Amino acid sequence: MKTRQINIVNIIGDNYAVEAEEGQKVYNQIVAAIDKNFKVNLSFLNIDMVTTAFLNSAVGQLYGNYSEEKIRKHFMVSNMSESGKISLKRVVETAKLHYKDADALKRSIEDILNE
Amino acid sequence: MKKNLNNVNFQHISPRTENILERNEFLSYFGKSKRQDYKHTTIKYLKLEPEDGKFFKNYIIQELLAREELPTMSQPLKNKMIEAIYEIFVNAQMHSNCEFIYTCGQFFPKKNKIEFTIVDNGIGFKEKVNRRFDTQFSALQAIKWAVIDRNTTKKIPGGIGLALLHEFVQKNRGKIQIISAEGYYEYSEANIIYKEFKGEFPGTIVNLQFKTDDSSDYLLKSEVNDINDIF
Repeated sequence: MKTRQINIVNIIGDNYAVEAEEGQKVYNQIVAAIDKNFKVNLSFLNIDMVTTAFLNSAVGQLYGNYSEEKIRKHFMVSNMSESGKISLKRVVETAKLHYKDADALKRSIEDILNE
Repeated sequence: MKKNLNNVNFQHISPRTENILERNEFLSYFGKSKRQDYKHTTIKYLKLEPEDGKFFKNYIIQELLAREELPTMSQPLKNKMIEAIYEIFVNAQMHSNCEFIYTCGQFFPKKNKIEFTIVDNGIGFKEKVNRRFDTQFSALQAIKWAVIDRNTTKKIPGGIGLALLHEFVQKNRGKIQIISAEGYYEYSEANIIYKEFKGEFPGTIVNLQFKTDDSSDYLLKSEVNDINDIF
């Protein structure tokens, strides 16, 4: 399988990867490459700030589109800062749960109502 | 008020408050001259549209990161603080359907703290949650729900930003205040306060307080050897 490197800084034109809309642009590129059977290497080189809003859009959404197995096979990240890794780990855990348990949000609403 | 072509003026402000509001340039938006910030402790008042993300970045660099007067802080702590501010800023951008976002702040060198405020004139927590889930939540219920990890009004995964902010503020011994519609919420290491007040704020105010004399280790490893193992 061929690898395609996606440089975030080149897509968003900035060293701050913070806005959800920018994450969406990155997500679209990732999906286009995976659908052409590439392995995506998402590079955070020269990115100095990331938010979970950006990561949810760029990476979290992948779990709604592909199986975990397919993501492991077709997707990797590189050049992430330690704090970026902490955020990404949280984003991936949340995304897996979000798509596995569709009723979780409904239950969270009921929990507040029943307090 | 402005939409009805009214002029907005401020009168009977205490001299001390007026001095601060002149130095952070807030009153310059309402017909007063700018005053030099001779104490170098204000983070200027800024009014911007939700699309002005790049402008906000320059503001953060100029008014916070590049300031010589910024109290001594470790680089990882500075990064965590900026990350926290951004999580709130992008929430206002994404969720509030607002026309404007307003920010300002203040250094307190003797008290070793920084306060930073982000305000939007959008629909607020209550309306946002009620529209999404067709509920009748009060503002307090909506805030209570929104600060729980993984709760989001988006269709895609989310709800992590506020949870991460709480974890950072707890470690940093700082404070978060949220005011939205009739709801008031305050979080600090010491306690959590929920209160309802009589008036209603037409939007959301988030006040963040960070301690600058925090020696916690913010360079903790992500607990995974290879980040790609998480997928």
